[in-house]
Amino acid sequence: MSDKADHSRRNFLYVAAGGLGAVAAGATAVPFIGSMLPAADTLAAAKTEFDTSTVVEGQLVVIQWQGKPVFVVNRTADMLERVKGHDDKLKDPNSEAGEEVQAEWMDSEDKRTFRAIKPEILIVVASCTHLGCIPLFKPTAGQKDWGDSVPSDWAGGWHCPCHGSYYDLSARVVKGSPAPQNLHVMSYEYKTDSIVVIG
Amino acid sequence: MKTGLFKWVDDRTGLEGIIKSQLTEYPVPKNLNYMWNFGSLALLVLVLQILTGIFLVMYYKPDASLTYGGYTVAFDSVERIMRDINFGWLIRYMHAVGASAFFVVVYMHIGRGLYYGSYKGPRELLWIIGVVILLIMQGAAFFGYLLPWGQMSFWGATVITNLFGAVPVLGEYLQQVLRGGFAVGDPTLNRFFSLHYLFPLLLAAIVGGHIHALHVVHSNNPDGVDIDHEKDTIPFHPYYTVKDAFGVGVFLLGYCYFVFFQPEAWGYFIEVDNFVPANNLQTPAHIAPVWYLTPWYTILRTFENKLLGVAMMGASLAILFVLPFLDRSKVRSARYRPVFRQMVILFFISVVVLGYCGHSAPTATLAIVGTIATCVYFGFFLLLPFVHKFEKTKPLPGGE
Amino acid sequence: MRGMMMKTLRFSLIAGLMLVMAPAMASASGGGVALKHAEISLDQETIKAGLTVFTDVCMGCHSAKYVTYRNLMDYPEIGLTREEVDDLRGSNSLMEGLKTELAPEDAAESYGVVPPDLSVIARARRGGGDYLYSLLTGYEEDPDGKVEDGNYNHFFPGNRIAMPDPLAWLGHDDDETAELEKQARDVSSFLVFIGDPHQLERKRLGRWVMGFLVLLTFVLWMLKKEVWKDVKKH
Repeated sequence: MSDKADHSRRNFLYVAAGGLGAVAAGATAVPFIGSMLPAADTLAAAKTEFDTSTVVEGQLVVIQWQGKPVFVVNRTADMLERVKGHDDKLKDPNSEAGEEVQAEWMDSEDKRTFRAIKPEILIVVASCTHLGCIPLFKPTAGQKDWGDSVPSDWAGGWHCPCHGSYYDLSARVVKGSPAPQNLHVMSYEYKTDSIVVIG
Repeated sequence: MKTGLFKWVDDRTGLEGIIKSQLTEYPVPKNLNYMWNFGSLALLVLVLQILTGIFLVMYYKPDASLTYGGYTVAFDSVERIMRDINFGWLIRYMHAVGASAFFVVVYMHIGRGLYYGSYKGPRELLWIIGVVILLIMQGAAFFGYLLPWGQMSFWGATVITNLFGAVPVLGEYLQQVLRGGFAVGDPTLNRFFSLHYLFPLLLAAIVGGHIHALHVVHSNNPDGVDIDHEKDTIPFHPYYTVKDAFGVGVFLLGYCYFVFFQPEAWGYFIEVDNFVPANNLQTPAHIAPVWYLTPWYTILRTFENKLLGVAMMGASLAILFVLPFLDRSKVRSARYRPVFRQMVILFFISVVVLGYCGHSAPTATLAIVGTIATCVYFGFFLLLPFVHKFEKTKPLPGGE
Repeated sequence: MRGMMMKTLRFSLIAGLMLVMAPAMASASGGGVALKHAEISLDQETIKAGLTVFTDVCMGCHSAKYVTYRNLMDYPEIGLTREEVDDLRGSNSLMEGLKTELAPEDAAESYGVVPPDLSVIARARRGGGDYLYSLLTGYEEDPDGKVEDGNYNHFFPGNRIAMPDPLAWLGHDDDETAELEKQARDVSSFLVFIGDPHQLERKRLGRWVMGFLVLLTFVLWMLKKEVWKDVKKH
């Protein structure tokens, strides 16, 4: 048996062993990393049911969904008016920036303005898109109730206490805010007239 | 770029020199047989146990508070790992099978050391460090077994912590320190969890010392003779890297067979009674430690007097430390020592018999068998200092 | 060389013997009566039938808290539809485990013991599915006439069992025995399944792993022999 033949056989075996070993190592990593992904029961808690008839007109409640805080606001007709007419002040008035600020039910211009299936009931994730604080609800217009924490042309909405981001009453982020995006929406549907299933 | 980076690190650590002298060019006798594979296998299993353990800890909860159905938060968390965590069942079974695999491999490794005289000079300290490793392994296994909080977990911990009560004067105090209370309970669970995490990390450090000590005196070989470094050694790489890799392949075949097809190993790896939630008001009909601790359990039970039993059990482990100094023969390997060879084989058999007795329910016959096996076990060590006087060793290879 | 072969042979003989003896030794230390052999099957039809027996009969007294209503839909081996699960669970949430209505105190009063949770019962008894099947089909009259009917069981350790025959109405006459045996087999299979719900997936994965390891070990063996040719030459 010549030396050359031996060495090519040897090299082949090294490569074969190394290749199979790499496959084994990779395959072994799968269950370990996989175990760190959310567990079956964690994922099962993905949907939350809520009865919107419990929210009084003009009121905001905070509920939990997937461990996150969620605003449910019953907007008055006046609030719905104040959502219009200031698109030029918003970073992303039509919620086009990405997946998290739009949902499949946002299929008309109205749905993009009001960011809700039923315009009175707004459901958004209560986490400021800057660094995650829960913004403060400041629904009335002007500075009468809020002093100079809000600008003089304040039309109502949210103000984040951590780094000063502003959102309008459809939770769309105002230009000049550190937050990059509108408050996130999610897919939800009405099971009945008032009961909504979120997630 | 890789060479550049490696050189940068090497200039600041001497890494290349370390890799060459300790790994790739490290000289090893060329006549080692497969009994020398078990050291690298033991290291592999240690890494596997630490890896699987770390991931299990992400979900395990050491809490003995009661939950619905007589279970506990701890037991619930283990079932959650088995049912809901992605691949949790796999990681749990790897850890449980791995514990037993660790002892199989280490017992074979120790057996090699005994048979071929690897404990004799200049490797006495290497052997002693090894005995320390064995003890820490046994501690880690004992602490770990409490964690699922099944019947066997609870009662095994109760029995063993009771043993410490036998120690004169300090007994009561030791028991309380171990248990954190008047009986095994939540405080016990939490501290055993902490220690179960600590011990393997201690092991990692001590194994480092074990390997360093080995590298100073170099490996023994099946003939037990001092070898000529020039003629009779070969570099660790590629010879023993490929041989060890093959050994790993064979090991994994056995290990994965158990993990995927027989993880409970008919009750030997995961005991049946441990699927019953711990009940401090009812002892299971048959308490036995996991198989790898059974030989010492038998020695304990052989003596009716509680203190004597504990002392002899301790002695059976302690005597391992002085083995290098008991054996006075100049010849190392059992291959060339006909008397020693019979003795060490008998010793191995006695350990297996002791294990069988410890696993079985105590009967009169088994008590006698256990006593005989205990005598053989100690007899091996007590006879050793005298063997060299009358043993006619065979001529060693190389005309030494 | 020959010496090593003999040693390896002797070693593998002993190891092989021990491996073969292991299951025998394991069951031997359990003691007791020889169990019947149950035809445990983990196919969906059997498991579903067993689930029905469990919810209709066993859940009168026993829980299986680690099995949730959601599991009944999500485990492909059970595969109930959302409607079937909604029927079973009533007002319980999907995430709830299967729990009995019988309060532990009432149970202790009626039967003397609290009926254990059955989630892992197949793993908590020596003999597993065979034991459960034997138990359920093992009720008989006490030959000594001391223990009342319904509480004497051939396979229960000590024979006197607190659980009265749960399938008593199925009787032990010839025509009804077939039905009794079927229901016992079905529910035992169900209990074996829920004791370790990933077992089928585990074995499936295991076959791939073993196949791969055989290949890998073979390649490593070839590599070892090839590399060691250098040494053998001297």
